[in-house]
Amino acid sequence: MSLSEAPAGTGPTAPADAPPLVRAEGLVKTHHGEGAPARAVRGVDLTVSRGEFVAVTGPSGAGKSTLLHLLGGLQKPDAGSIWFDGTCLDSYGESQWAVLRRRRIGIVFQFFNLVSNLTVADNVELPALLAGSSPKGARADRAELLAELGLEGKERSMPGELSGGEQQRVALARALVNHPDLLLADEPAGSLDSRGTREVLRLLSRFHGRGQTIVMVTHDARMASAADRVISFFDGRIADDAALDADAPGLRRRGKGVSGVLELKD
Amino acid sequence: MRLPLLALLASGPAHGYELKQALEKLLGAAYPQPNVGQIYVTLGRLEKSGLIEGEDVAQSTRPNKRIYRLTDAGREAVRAWFEEPTDEPRVRDEFFMKLAIAPQTGLADQIALINKQRRQYLNTMRELSRLAAAEDRDNRVAQLLIEGAMLHLQADLDWLERCQEELE
Amino acid sequence: MRATLRWAHADLRAHRGEALFTVLATAGIIASLLLAGALFSYTADPWQRVFTQSEGAHVWIHTRDGAEPEELRDLEGVAGLSGPFRTARTTVELGGARASAELRATGPEPPEVGRPLVTDGRWQAAGAADEIVLEGSLARALWAEPGDTLTARGARGTEHTLRVVGVADTAEPRYTPGDTPGIGWLPDEALDRLQPDPERTGQTVGLRLADPDDTDFMVQRAVTALGADQVSEVTRWQQARADAEGEGRLLGLLLALFGLGALLAAALAVAGAISTRVHGHLRDISVLKAIGFTPAQVVRVFLVQHLGFAFLGAACGAAVTELLGARVPGRIGEAVDVWRQLPGHTWTVLATTAAAVLFIATATSLAAWRAGRVPPVPVARTAVPRGLGPLTLPERRALGRDAPPALVLGWRGAFPGRTRSLAAVGRLAVPLAMITAALGAWATVDRFHERPEEIGLPAALTVRDGSPDDSGSSGSPGSPGSAASGASEAERHAGTERLLAAHPDVTAVHPGTEVEALVPGQTATITLRGLGTDADPYPFALAEGRLPDGPDEAVAGQGLLDLLDVRVGDWVRMTVQGRPQILHITGRSIEPEDGGRVISTSLDNLDLGDGSGTTAPDLHHLVLRDGADAGEVGAELAASSGGRLEVREAVNPADGLAGVRGVIAGLIAVLALIGLTELSTVLGARVRDRGRDLLALKAIGLTPRQIAGVITVSTAFTALAAAVAGTVLGTAAGRWLIDAQGRSSGIGAGIAQSPPPGALLLVIAAAVVGAVAVSAVPAARASRRRIADTLSETL
Repeated sequence: MSLSEAPAGTGPTAPADAPPLVRAEGLVKTHHGEGAPARAVRGVDLTVSRGEFVAVTGPSGAGKSTLLHLLGGLQKPDAGSIWFDGTCLDSYGESQWAVLRRRRIGIVFQFFNLVSNLTVADNVELPALLAGSSPKGARADRAELLAELGLEGKERSMPGELSGGEQQRVALARALVNHPDLLLADEPAGSLDSRGTREVLRLLSRFHGRGQTIVMVTHDARMASAADRVISFFDGRIADDAALDADAPGLRRRGKGVSGVLELKD
Repeated sequence: MRLPLLALLASGPAHGYELKQALEKLLGAAYPQPNVGQIYVTLGRLEKSGLIEGEDVAQSTRPNKRIYRLTDAGREAVRAWFEEPTDEPRVRDEFFMKLAIAPQTGLADQIALINKQRRQYLNTMRELSRLAAAEDRDNRVAQLLIEGAMLHLQADLDWLERCQEELE
Repeated sequence: MRATLRWAHADLRAHRGEALFTVLATAGIIASLLLAGALFSYTADPWQRVFTQSEGAHVWIHTRDGAEPEELRDLEGVAGLSGPFRTARTTVELGGARASAELRATGPEPPEVGRPLVTDGRWQAAGAADEIVLEGSLARALWAEPGDTLTARGARGTEHTLRVVGVADTAEPRYTPGDTPGIGWLPDEALDRLQPDPERTGQTVGLRLADPDDTDFMVQRAVTALGADQVSEVTRWQQARADAEGEGRLLGLLLALFGLGALLAAALAVAGAISTRVHGHLRDISVLKAIGFTPAQVVRVFLVQHLGFAFLGAACGAAVTELLGARVPGRIGEAVDVWRQLPGHTWTVLATTAAAVLFIATATSLAAWRAGRVPPVPVARTAVPRGLGPLTLPERRALGRDAPPALVLGWRGAFPGRTRSLAAVGRLAVPLAMITAALGAWATVDRFHERPEEIGLPAALTVRDGSPDDSGSSGSPGSPGSAASGASEAERHAGTERLLAAHPDVTAVHPGTEVEALVPGQTATITLRGLGTDADPYPFALAEGRLPDGPDEAVAGQGLLDLLDVRVGDWVRMTVQGRPQILHITGRSIEPEDGGRVISTSLDNLDLGDGSGTTAPDLHHLVLRDGADAGEVGAELAASSGGRLEVREAVNPADGLAGVRGVIAGLIAVLALIGLTELSTVLGARVRDRGRDLLALKAIGLTPRQIAGVITVSTAFTALAAAVAGTVLGTAAGRWLIDAQGRSSGIGAGIAQSPPPGALLLVIAAAVVGAVAVSAVPAARASRRRIADTLSETL
């Protein structure tokens, strides 16, 4: 399946009766570091449908990253359950989570996305090989993705030779090479300048338009506003879960051209 | 509007309609369609203040155009305008009022207020993103304007977060 | 699987240098271990060496003249024949010393099988009719050297002179006075002259077997073939080996211990290198796990990689040793050559290599398992884990007083986290401790050679009345008989003493006697000695307690204490020549002879019931002047007494340890190599640590040279800590080990000698200098690295 096909039945507005892709109930996670234990996630219930783009915002230290790690199986919750596409993942061990991550979940972090001693091409192909693709198939997928992301010609470079924005794009390619059901992004533009942020945003929107389900943690309002749904995370709990729609009634409408932007004094 | 019009005249004399066109070209879609009437009124006021002087030019088929020109006082006013730093926009005190008074009235919940305001800002941000996408990429001024608005919105959203942290 | 291979391949490409280094280090360690093993078997089993080098014969058959030993050549199972030689038994005499010998007629060329290895002088020249080559033990008994002339008693009492031209070693049983005759080789004509009567000559033939385990069977067949009535004596190689055994036991055990220790140190070093590598890979492992590698896959990758290196390195090391080992000049090359021909050689090589690889595999598995447990969340790893704390007051003051910042920062950097720095120091201390222990062994051997009086051998020569083979007068204390003969005995002894004391090189003469005593309940005998008089006490080497004072007091060796299960201060009872004797043990002495099963007292205290109340001495211990040559003095005394005295050199247990210095040097080299490997691991970790701080250090204002200095100093401090710990531990451990060995062999604890303080300081200095040298280039390179511009690099 090439990336230009959109899976049927998905889109920005998925049918209401389709089972959710991710369902989490009562997630609790406490960090035991130096000093007092920090309750990073306290009783979070979350549902993400197919094709949704969910942004999680909140102050730093609120536990957003931990929530994402729990959804991706990078950490095990102290309490609570997670269902992925109907399957309960409570009994999953580290190996089973790893297998799940290969095919069905792609993850992009703020830093440390790439294996430092592999070339760009190897980095992108690695998950494909891991999932069982043939080397040729992996190479084809990789070429398509890199072209899509504007990275042709960088196949043989090492991660250390790329700029921050390019590294994140390679990371995106790596996360998407297996056409995962779910893409988890933890501050994907956190270490980038505004131009890099725009690039990443554009790419995420593009893939979302093709039906990719995305859960993104961000503190950048611009990135959050690109999502369908914004979840405000405060102190380990969900404080607000708002669906963003500029066409929804009840919002104060301003004149065309956003005249509120520039009010010249008389 | 006064001083921008004055400043535009600094590059050379022009009449009202030309000034309107210049504004549009400069600011693009980010700026609401300039109201011609407003411009003429402002020009009249400026002339009365002695900062510009007008001159009627006869036209054959249309009514007379009035061409305006900067006076020395006007040029001085423009220079002063550029030299003086501009005041920063004030904090949106209406929302802050709501937030501060709510607990006493018992009519509204602070957190709910904050959430509602946040949704507003996010939707506005969304609109701004769309605007930026629709606007011509090369119109740097327009893009800058939009980006400025976005940054302000980000600051407001950050402030909302702080409020929520402190008041919770 | 493919993904694993892809990552492993890429990782290899990225860290080519490290991989090569690991392989080379493993190969070096294996090669060194094998070489040490070769040297060990060379020195610890001299009989085997001689046997192999001389193409020894497994069976020696002595027959009468009429036998036809030639036909044994065709016997199945016989790989080669030595001889047959015509032989005559006779007595040879040199300068007063007399010994019985079997003289063999060999041609001008030494035989192929059972070839005597000439250690001194040369073989007989063709055509010389009066040249003789003596076997080593016979030569020592006669004090013979090449150039001496000895007389052999021939037929009908005639005396023939023969010139000694050489001394040689064989793998046959040694000369024992009264028991086994010595061996001499002379030309056919000389034998004919000596013993023309064929009735009085015999034949000797040596059989080299294809299968040494089949000796008994082959002996049967050979004797049957020759005819039992023709065979007069058969000796086997097992007898000869048992005869020569015991020399290398002390050495052998010590070296085995060291070998194992070296193996352990090597495994530790490799383990350290691997775990440091894993530490450096932590970020990548997190990313891999986030991508979807299972922990098992991560473990597998590391395991396969490093096991591969280990195998490759081991194979290379073993191959190089096998192929090129014999070319190494000096003793080592010789040792490898001999070693290769030994039976069971291939098995030994395989076993050593397999053991080393097994150790490394265990260490690797541990590190790989740890790699598998790395959490899949890539976190920014701080350079220094919590726990260091702020700058201490001395450090601050030092910086304030313009101490070089490299020194202070290096000092802090030398000990990052508690566990990490302890592990690094510990791993480096192990080879250093072993080097120190090896030096302790060296010092002990030196002590044996240079100050034998401290280990119970104050006398270099022992003089007995009567020649070696005179029957009846050796070993029996004061012949039972009348007082008159007793008086003449006493006169004779006084005269002997005067004669001995007259020699300029003799500083003291101690009379003594030795008897065998039976201990109650034991079927073993112990040696009871009376040495010295109350007026002139014998200088026992006392390890515990005090010297015997009054009557019935004695000192005993460790072997005796163990045998009778008594301690210093107990009373023991023994039966001497049918009469009981009770003695109080007041001290423990170091007894290198007879397995330590010796109890000694003053001659005056010994009452052996010959009626006179005291015992007459039948031997004298001679203490020589420092620097005197015992051999020369012994020969002179034997000559001057006109054959009446039998003079023997004291056997120093360290004589059998002749090659130990070479082995110790080799071991030290191996351990130094291991230490270097460990140093470079530590260095790698330090470089990585400082690399992260590079930006901060430059911002402070340190020049690249100072930054390099920080790395070097921190490595040097680690090495210093390890060296101090290692030398202290090694000295203690070495003493303990050697004393334990002494105790178990019966000599007794107290023989150990610590290495001199100068040597210890040298070890410490070498460690520090080595650390500085190893870290010079990498530190300089690290300090000049381009500063990364992306955040992810510096984290």
